[in-house]
Amino acid sequence: MIEFDEHQRKLVLKLVYYGPALSGKTTNLLSLHDQFDRNGRGELMMLDTTEDRTIYFDLLPFFYEAPSGFKIKLKVFTVPGQVRHDATRKAVLQRADGVVFVADSRTSMMAMNGESFANLEQNLSLVGLAIDQLPLVVQFNKRDLAEVVAEEEIRKTWSEAGLPVVMASALQGRGVIETFRMAVELLFDSLDSKLQLREKYGVDRAAFLRAIMKT
Amino acid sequence: MNETTPNISFVIGEEKHLSQIISRSEIEPLLLSALATGIVRAALLDADGLPFCDIGNMRAPQMPERAAIRLPIRVEGEPQGTLLLELETPNPLFEAVAQVMQNALQLIVTNNLKRMLTTEVHTSVVQESYDQLVLTNRHLQESERRYRNLARDLEQKVEERTAELRQASKRLLQQEKLAAVGQLAAGMAHEINNPIGFIRSNLGSFSKYLNRFLEMLGLYRRLLDEESTTAAVRSRANQRWNELKMDFVLEDSAVLLGQSVDGADRIARIVAELKGFSYLGEMEKFETDLNLELEQLLASLADKFPPDMKLTTDLQPLPLYSCHAPLLAQAFGSIIDNGLKSRTSGLHLSVSSRLEPETIVITFVDNGCGIAEADLPRIFDPFFTTRPVGSGTGMGLAVAHEIISGAGGSIEVLSTVGTGTTCTVTLPIGDAHA
Repeated sequence: MIEFDEHQRKLVLKLVYYGPALSGKTTNLLSLHDQFDRNGRGELMMLDTTEDRTIYFDLLPFFYEAPSGFKIKLKVFTVPGQVRHDATRKAVLQRADGVVFVADSRTSMMAMNGESFANLEQNLSLVGLAIDQLPLVVQFNKRDLAEVVAEEEIRKTWSEAGLPVVMASALQGRGVIETFRMAVELLFDSLDSKLQLREKYGVDRAAFLRAIMKT
Repeated sequence: MNETTPNISFVIGEEKHLSQIISRSEIEPLLLSALATGIVRAALLDADGLPFCDIGNMRAPQMPERAAIRLPIRVEGEPQGTLLLELETPNPLFEAVAQVMQNALQLIVTNNLKRMLTTEVHTSVVQESYDQLVLTNRHLQESERRYRNLARDLEQKVEERTAELRQASKRLLQQEKLAAVGQLAAGMAHEINNPIGFIRSNLGSFSKYLNRFLEMLGLYRRLLDEESTTAAVRSRANQRWNELKMDFVLEDSAVLLGQSVDGADRIARIVAELKGFSYLGEMEKFETDLNLELEQLLASLADKFPPDMKLTTDLQPLPLYSCHAPLLAQAFGSIIDNGLKSRTSGLHLSVSSRLEPETIVITFVDNGCGIAEADLPRIFDPFFTTRPVGSGTGMGLAVAHEIISGAGGSIEVLSTVGTGTTCTVTLPIGDAHA
């Protein structure tokens, strides 16, 4: 949680898209930006990139104001996937409320996915977040490519870990919203149990989701 | 580096107000330029509607109403400020100018925000790298300290062990010395017992002989009183003389006494040589010309040289050497004596001395019988001798070894049976000659 100001009745949340290099994190955000109505969201801010590789982060903010006047701002970030930018990943991961892990479906990338996930686990613990209590959705991206690991196999592996898995092709816009919705729902539920958003601040889950995911 | 210095830390994504993103001076020129288009007031209002930067004239209450346009300025897509433009007389370009102004302002805000975010990440990363370096440095220092302690402990351990070893070696040396003394005592007992044995036995026989002498003397005295004629005295005396085998007794007495004297001499010789072995460390040292000592020694031994012996000397100049000269002379004498006894005829003995960087080297070479390989390790043992009993005490080289070791030197013997023996004495030149 970036900010929770009861006086100003404002909540600022952070959702981080994590994953190995070139798995399509920024593409996910671009697709969300394109598919959602601009009423619920801000502009996509892409900090300096080199040759399409994120070196700092991308940011796509979403806004919601409940009839009660309580405001929720959800900032969606991507991290740079390249191994060398670990410090940046750690900095972005600070105070995250939820994580979407974007994996590359290609057979050849399974080791990279594993390494990146291990890195996520490590960095979460370094910034003081418990991975088993953090809303976490796994997206297997690039389903449109050949030589991808079979969905059945992926589901078998990851469901054992108890994590929700979504198949996607961010480039074609498939599975992107589904992933986002799942992450936001988990995130909302986790916050609701902590803050009683509905009882205390009159924030309705369905209305919130509708508002920020207006297509 | 002081580690309590608070870190500059950012939470990526923290909310920012318009006033944190832009400064008045940044947007003033832009607002000012709007006045050139006929706009009378250009202002940027913050989220609460209060002017952050206000250029031109406020409308006074009595002044006519103005045309005004308000456009939002967003931060991360959220309206955080308002661009307010006022115009007295309507102008067809007003809206277009307003649009341009909004775009320009928005661009400044967005770019500033991007720069700030970039800086924040960058700072976080630098901070973390620095923290990592500090940590690494601390670990390195820690490990360096550990190794230093280890090295120090090791040194201490080595010292302790060295001391222990030195102690043990001292004890061992002591034991060896005791063993040597034991061996010496045993050898001595044997060497001395032997002559004492036969001296005692000889004296026993001689005392029986003495009784016969006394009897003969008594008989003569009595016969002189009893007999009136010399013939009668002679006859009776001769009869008893023969009965007592006095001819043999007289002869044997001489032999017995001669042997006893020899035995006593042998004991005296052994004792004399032992004096060298018991080492007289308290003796005073003198600056000695070893060449002179060698020459004198060889001259004093000249009467012992076999007639056909050939002696070669090659004595090179030596510095004065601080030593117990008589002892060294005794040692050299023992070595030369061995050489003299190594061959009955055709002996060639050569004695040479030379100076090496830190030592004086004296070499004795003979072309004698040589020493059997099996005997070599024992040549310095006290009482070890290969010569017939009585002709050598077996103390010569033992004493020589003791004397030369006592002077800090060493003695080395190379020998081939039938070819000869080379005996090399090496004496270190002490600090005084360094």
